[in-house]
Amino acid sequence: MQKNQRIIFYILILIAGAAWITISADTTNATAGTSAPQAGFTAPDFTLKTPDGEGYRLSELKGNAVLVNLWATWCPPCRAEMPAIEKMYQEYKDQGLVVLAVNMTYQDDPANVSPFIQEYGLTFPVLLEETGNVGTAYQLRSLPSTYFINRAGIIQEVVIGGPMSEALLRTRIEQILQ
Amino acid sequence: MLTLFRNLFSPPRHMILLLLATWIGLTIAEKHTERHGVGKDDLNNVTYYGLIAFVIGGRVSFVLQNLPAFIKNPPGILSINPDIFDPFGAVAAAIITIVIYGQRHGLLLWNTLDALTLYFSILSIGIGLSHLAAGTAFGMETNVIWGIDLWNATRHPTQIYETAASLLIFGWVWFQKQNPRPGILFLTYAGLTAAAQLFTQAFRGDSTLIINGLRQGQIIAWATLAIIFVLFEYRLKEE
Repeated sequence: MQKNQRIIFYILILIAGAAWITISADTTNATAGTSAPQAGFTAPDFTLKTPDGEGYRLSELKGNAVLVNLWATWCPPCRAEMPAIEKMYQEYKDQGLVVLAVNMTYQDDPANVSPFIQEYGLTFPVLLEETGNVGTAYQLRSLPSTYFINRAGIIQEVVIGGPMSEALLRTRIEQILQ
Repeated sequence: MLTLFRNLFSPPRHMILLLLATWIGLTIAEKHTERHGVGKDDLNNVTYYGLIAFVIGGRVSFVLQNLPAFIKNPPGILSINPDIFDPFGAVAAAIITIVIYGQRHGLLLWNTLDALTLYFSILSIGIGLSHLAAGTAFGMETNVIWGIDLWNATRHPTQIYETAASLLIFGWVWFQKQNPRPGILFLTYAGLTAAAQLFTQAFRGDSTLIINGLRQGQIIAWATLAIIFVLFEYRLKEE
């Protein structure tokens, strides 16, 4: 192919590319209103109770930054990251951070939960998930799984696995508090 | 089948696919490297240092971008959690390291890039598959019969589009027995990949949007394509 032909080819490709970009512009906001356990979507709603019977509904916390941590007492990385979560909760709760630690009670021994809360001195709500519905809604495959939800109720970050360091928690929490 | 695949390689196991692609890609690239005038040892060294720089650079870049958090908790820098990682910083560190290594050991840039093209093309397949496993880079909602159920909707299987495009590009690279000039193989691979991204990004449901709904990913792919055309002419003129 001669140089002139190549340049015409390049220009045609770039014009076609620019046209494709314009035609395929997204004017609908593809994830708006859809609920799914993935960054960019509205966090799937749930209503759960603490061992003391106090109820929490996720959707009622809109306006706060929410950290949802799915965990179990038998899970070593879950145990390892709890002190860091508690420390971050103490540091940021006055700025609007809510932590919901959802114990996967249907995969755990419920008798272990209250001693665990005492042992780690947890002051944020620990919720009992006894049916598996939240695990299904969040398509749970690994523990711990942590969802950082912004003030609009949209999941901003997902961290699968652990343990999360205090520094990683701080970076994610400061993002959802903005 | 898709559910089985996604269960098998669900995060964080989806990274196994990237490791597999790296291993297979480097093994194959090594077998064909001498065709491009690059020795096996040089290719192994350049990729070894590049991969180390990728891992360390990704971590360092993330830490630097979030320095106040890590000053308060320095041990967090060494945390085993892979989320402490900035992919752009990782790629930049790898490129800088490869360029420095290449200059110090007299490696020719374009020949080295050609030798690595098979690796890049296999890595692209691995990236597409890891997106499929993790459910990231997902598509818009659709009614097409080949849509997949993902994130509570039927969506364009953009990860499959991406993987299929990468497979086709790999096939094209694989069958190139002659390279007219050093750099042309790599630039053609890069151009095809940018064009594929420009096309498939149109079906993505997670695009970062800029003015009037234009997709940032497509704009970057378009600009990359334009730069590749310039480099293409530069290579043809230089020889």
